[in-house]
Amino acid sequence: MMKVQVRNLDKISVLDSSGDVDLYSSPLLREALLAEIKADGPSVLVNMSAVTYIDSSGIATLVEGLQLSRQTKTRFGLFGLRPNARSVLELARLHRVFTIFETEAEALEKIGSVQPFSGI
Amino acid sequence: MIRIAIDSEPRLLNILRGVVKFRAHEAGLPNSDAEYVALAIDEAAANVIRHTYGSRHDARMALEVRCLPDRLEFILEDWGPKVCEESIRPRSLDELRPGGLGTFFIYSFMDECSYDPGFKEGNRLKLVKFLKRKGAGCNDEGSSAKSG
Repeated sequence: MMKVQVRNLDKISVLDSSGDVDLYSSPLLREALLAEIKADGPSVLVNMSAVTYIDSSGIATLVEGLQLSRQTKTRFGLFGLRPNARSVLELARLHRVFTIFETEAEALEKIGSVQPFSGI
Repeated sequence: MIRIAIDSEPRLLNILRGVVKFRAHEAGLPNSDAEYVALAIDEAAANVIRHTYGSRHDARMALEVRCLPDRLEFILEDWGPKVCEESIRPRSLDELRPGGLGTFFIYSFMDECSYDPGFKEGNRLKLVKFLKRKGAGCNDEGSSAKSG
């Protein structure tokens, strides 16, 4: 069963996601993600370290989040990807599109210096 | 041979993935390949739910898994409107948009993908993964060819 919990840190929201992200559960991630990404809102990080599986609907949700972050000029990133999730993103050539950090510590340290994308 | 019939209910997709991974492991596929094959079958089943059945959750679908000496065969059946095969070609990865990756994963991870035109009641999709490792595979129509 997938779960999403939001941690509100100083100017950063971390979405701790766990379990399988598939056609059944991706709407839960989508709802949480789109609620956090807003103009003048905090930077948003998705913690993928406990995501055991992700399919195209889960990836589509992350792409939606990315597109919204570009519209709202919000800093947006992922961290803690497991090898299976990373390889699926790489195959879809999305690993260069997302800002991906290895660890939460790195993400928290560097997300502030990520340039919010100004175009679509 | 394994045949499993489920409702077109997204929360049941993890059962299909579990069955596919189990059989793929049993056939000797490495863990990463077994996960990719499970992803491909999951995507095909999700397409049935979303597109063929229009996200109805009370329709039927069935998955048959056959392990043969040189390949794994997956037969996914539904009883919805006929699918136009041309409409399920993978999209270009050059554009950044949320949808359309499922078919790309199916074609990326499976070696063959075809619809059975003789299945009149709905759609019968056959997906094949060839087993390259010596000693892998089995024979659902006869004795096991896998040692150990």
